[in-house]
Amino acid sequence: MKKRLGIISLFVLLFIAFIVIWNFSYQVGLEEGYIPIENKVSHTNIPSESGVFERAEFALEYANMPIDENHQRTLDTYYNNRAYYGAPPSIPHPIKDEKSLGGNACLQCHQNGGFVKQFDAYAPVTPHPEMVNCRQCHVAQNSNTLFKPSNLAKVHAPKVGVNNALIGTPPMIPHQIQMRENCLSCHAGPAAPKEIRVTHPERINCRQCHVPTDRVVSEITPFTRTNSNENE
Amino acid sequence: MYNSLSNRRSFIKKMARLSAMAAAASMFPGIMFASEQEEGIPEGANLDWKKGPCRFCGVGCGILVGTENGKAVAVKGDPNSSVNKGLLCVKGYHQTMCIQSKDRLTHALVKKNGTYVKTPINEALDIVANKMKDTIAAHGKDSVAMYTSGQSTIPEGYVASKLMKGAIGTNNLDCNARLCMASAVAGFLTSFGADEPMGCYEDIDHADYFITWGNNMAEMHPVLFSRILEQKARRGAKIIDFATRTTRSSTASDRSILFEPQTDLAVGNAICYEIVNNGWVNKSFIEKHCNFSKGLTKMGYGLEDKYKFKDKPEKIDFDQYRIFLEDYTPEKVAKYSKVSVKDIKYLASIYGNPNKKVMSLWCMGVNQHTRGTWMNNIIYNIHLLTGKISQPGNSPFSLTGQPSACGTAREVGTFTHKLPKGVVMNPKHRELAAKIWKVPVERIPSKPTYHTTEMFRAVDRGDIKFIWTQAVNPLVSLPKTSRYRPAMEKESCFVVVSDVFPTPTSDVADVILPAAWHIEKSGLYGNSERRTQHWDKMVEGPGDTTPDAWMFIEVAKRMGFGDLFPYSKENHVEEIYNEYRQFHEGKKHGMAPLEVLKKESGAIWPYVDGKSTQWRFNAKYDPACSNDEDFHFYGKPDGKAVIWQRPYEPAPESPDSEYPFWLNTGRVIEHWHTGSMTRRIPVLHKAMPHAYVEFHPEDAKALSIRNGENIKVTSRRGSCVLPASINERGLPTKGQVFVPFFDENMLINDVTLDAFCPISKEPDFKKCAVKVEKA
Repeated sequence: MKKRLGIISLFVLLFIAFIVIWNFSYQVGLEEGYIPIENKVSHTNIPSESGVFERAEFALEYANMPIDENHQRTLDTYYNNRAYYGAPPSIPHPIKDEKSLGGNACLQCHQNGGFVKQFDAYAPVTPHPEMVNCRQCHVAQNSNTLFKPSNLAKVHAPKVGVNNALIGTPPMIPHQIQMRENCLSCHAGPAAPKEIRVTHPERINCRQCHVPTDRVVSEITPFTRTNSNENE
Repeated sequence: MYNSLSNRRSFIKKMARLSAMAAAASMFPGIMFASEQEEGIPEGANLDWKKGPCRFCGVGCGILVGTENGKAVAVKGDPNSSVNKGLLCVKGYHQTMCIQSKDRLTHALVKKNGTYVKTPINEALDIVANKMKDTIAAHGKDSVAMYTSGQSTIPEGYVASKLMKGAIGTNNLDCNARLCMASAVAGFLTSFGADEPMGCYEDIDHADYFITWGNNMAEMHPVLFSRILEQKARRGAKIIDFATRTTRSSTASDRSILFEPQTDLAVGNAICYEIVNNGWVNKSFIEKHCNFSKGLTKMGYGLEDKYKFKDKPEKIDFDQYRIFLEDYTPEKVAKYSKVSVKDIKYLASIYGNPNKKVMSLWCMGVNQHTRGTWMNNIIYNIHLLTGKISQPGNSPFSLTGQPSACGTAREVGTFTHKLPKGVVMNPKHRELAAKIWKVPVERIPSKPTYHTTEMFRAVDRGDIKFIWTQAVNPLVSLPKTSRYRPAMEKESCFVVVSDVFPTPTSDVADVILPAAWHIEKSGLYGNSERRTQHWDKMVEGPGDTTPDAWMFIEVAKRMGFGDLFPYSKENHVEEIYNEYRQFHEGKKHGMAPLEVLKKESGAIWPYVDGKSTQWRFNAKYDPACSNDEDFHFYGKPDGKAVIWQRPYEPAPESPDSEYPFWLNTGRVIEHWHTGSMTRRIPVLHKAMPHAYVEFHPEDAKALSIRNGENIKVTSRRGSCVLPASINERGLPTKGQVFVPFFDENMLINDVTLDAFCPISKEPDFKKCAVKVEKA
């Protein structure tokens, strides 16, 4: 009798413990499920500064990725796809849904890249995935003919390999970086044109060594010493 | 990970091939890519590579300079240097480009009837020596002064000190490192009794958390930051940026915490409060290895001439310290620091977690502070309370600004109170100096005279009649240049400026001496991690350019001190270093012999029995520990480090209704300090052509200021007009503006305040009140 009572009370205890623990874990679960509405960004974003680190989490993968030599892009195809040097690239492939917007369509492939069997190519990665109305700037190519011929001459893009200030110093950045602050999106990964693919993507703080040189925004005049006693 | 960079050798190949390929590319478009580029290229151009340290910041990267036909044509990172492992930054890679600048000072210039006349160097040195002698004869030893630099080499600092203190017998010697890390020194001396970090850069490879205190490492110590980023990517180490301004470093960090200027003192104490209150104190460590002390408070800010202060340390016990901390609960501090309670607790929990290794890093944010010594003490308090110190990865790490602020300014001691070993106030230290210098001990005065700010005030007052500056540009870098520029222009003071380029300081000189640049002379630098690095002369300097050390020696000879400076022109660097080494003999500060430094990419002192000591005060690594315990803080007589009770005190000048903004000043990655070198490097000038005033976007909006618009920044001292910068390089907190000080055409130091830390005498360039208006 005593034994049975003991066993019963043991089970009762276990049951109570179960209820308590289950209740507790349920409550905890609820807490985790609740997403407080607060600004999660711990710092204000400065595009020109933070962009460079944006795909840093993939840097090591890029460094270790074998090169798929059969599906590399070249700088030529890269620039052929632009109306002029610095223009947003046009869309060289058919588009499924004319009404679609970034997140549902373009970004599926262009946010992180990857191989697209249909086009036998790697999708280039956009440096600005936060802008989802892609076709505001990127146009489709639906015809090969011109409405009227034009005299527009394409400005030549800077050449690769001649951008060093001294022998062996890191090449300077020959292009503007507005909206292209994230270096790794174009200079690393399988879709990066082979001539400009960086050999050391793991370095991530690109502008530690590479200086921007294309500052169209502010005209640079030779520095003059305003208070000097130039004399010799 | 460094593969690609140890490949830098092939980079040169690549370059040569690339220019060939660029031509080929027009014929065969699209054929260039990495693997093909490697092939068929002959071993690079006929470059001769020589090793040395970088000319710029205190990180002290190893560089290799490629010379061809007597010209420096290339720079690369030294893969053998454990500091940078082959990597450099924008300044480092392009450094040698400035020496070819067209306005290089190639000959001595002597001012005659208001114009500068090209003069043979020997004549100019005669003039300097005679003037110095005459001034001493007429006005006494203390009427002549020398102001040198954390960019002076070890031999330069050594002969400067020997000339002023040993030969002439005045303590009128100070250097720009006073503006840079005097607070760090005072922090080390008060907390540990021994200067310079206990750890080394290898701490980065071990730490789990990096907490940066008011420090934009991505721009100011970029190579070290890249080592931190590497640890973040590889091991998931975390970076927490604690600052008053959002910068490139903040955007790379895992968390950015912003605070109201000056309240770092309070937040630091709040972290200590949390550590004590939550039982995170490492009790056995503080019982065995720590004392508690308090000093004087309400010290003032040194704003008046001839201000004097001497701290009176007083021992306290742990309970008194605990009670003191009760004023700094996170809840109380959050109110005025604008740091949330949660963030304070978060920071404290990182330091308090016994299983995580924490590295604190700081530089000018903490040092250029009217309570800079206190702030250094508080960071050490945090590490001492938790016992996280002197072990790989657990490291309070005070970063240095200049390439030899440690090697020259701190170790040789080019401060008014310093001797190569110890201080002038200590008779034993004076005796040692007198013995090695072979001068009568009475000649070395026992009282310190002018620290930097006071030195230029003395020039203004007319007390100093002769000043010689070397490798320094005070009329751009001093606080409140609006007072000190007119002071230097006064007829009462004869100004000699040794420099490589003309600067606003050389503009007021009576004699300008043409200095040899870094690689145009041999020398030694000492970096932030106690690493001494040697380099040999690599190229000839143009014209009459002469190494600074040799100019000092020549003047000393002309003044009749030739027997004290028996060095040869060819070998003076080696002879001086060997003499200097005698000062530091022993296990606590032994310097590596020259043969080792010539062979290796630097060695860390204490260099004992052929080995660098990476972690001082830890018996496992440091042979100088002698108390049979795990740790021995042998800088203090009783072998114990000091936890200081240091309160929060407000800044000397805070924004008010008339001057509503904080002004913060600082640097940018492209430029080195006052820009006299880096602005003459075309790539760097193009990337950062002028200074700017940075606004928080909301402040800009409220004042309807557009990007690029000229803005006049005015304080009670002066004003400066600069273009506005909104959402560009950095983002100050609301109510604050930021201006970099490199631009001699936009002298922001006309605006700053010459208040300083009463203990370290280091000015605060980070805080004063200004108003802004459209210009």
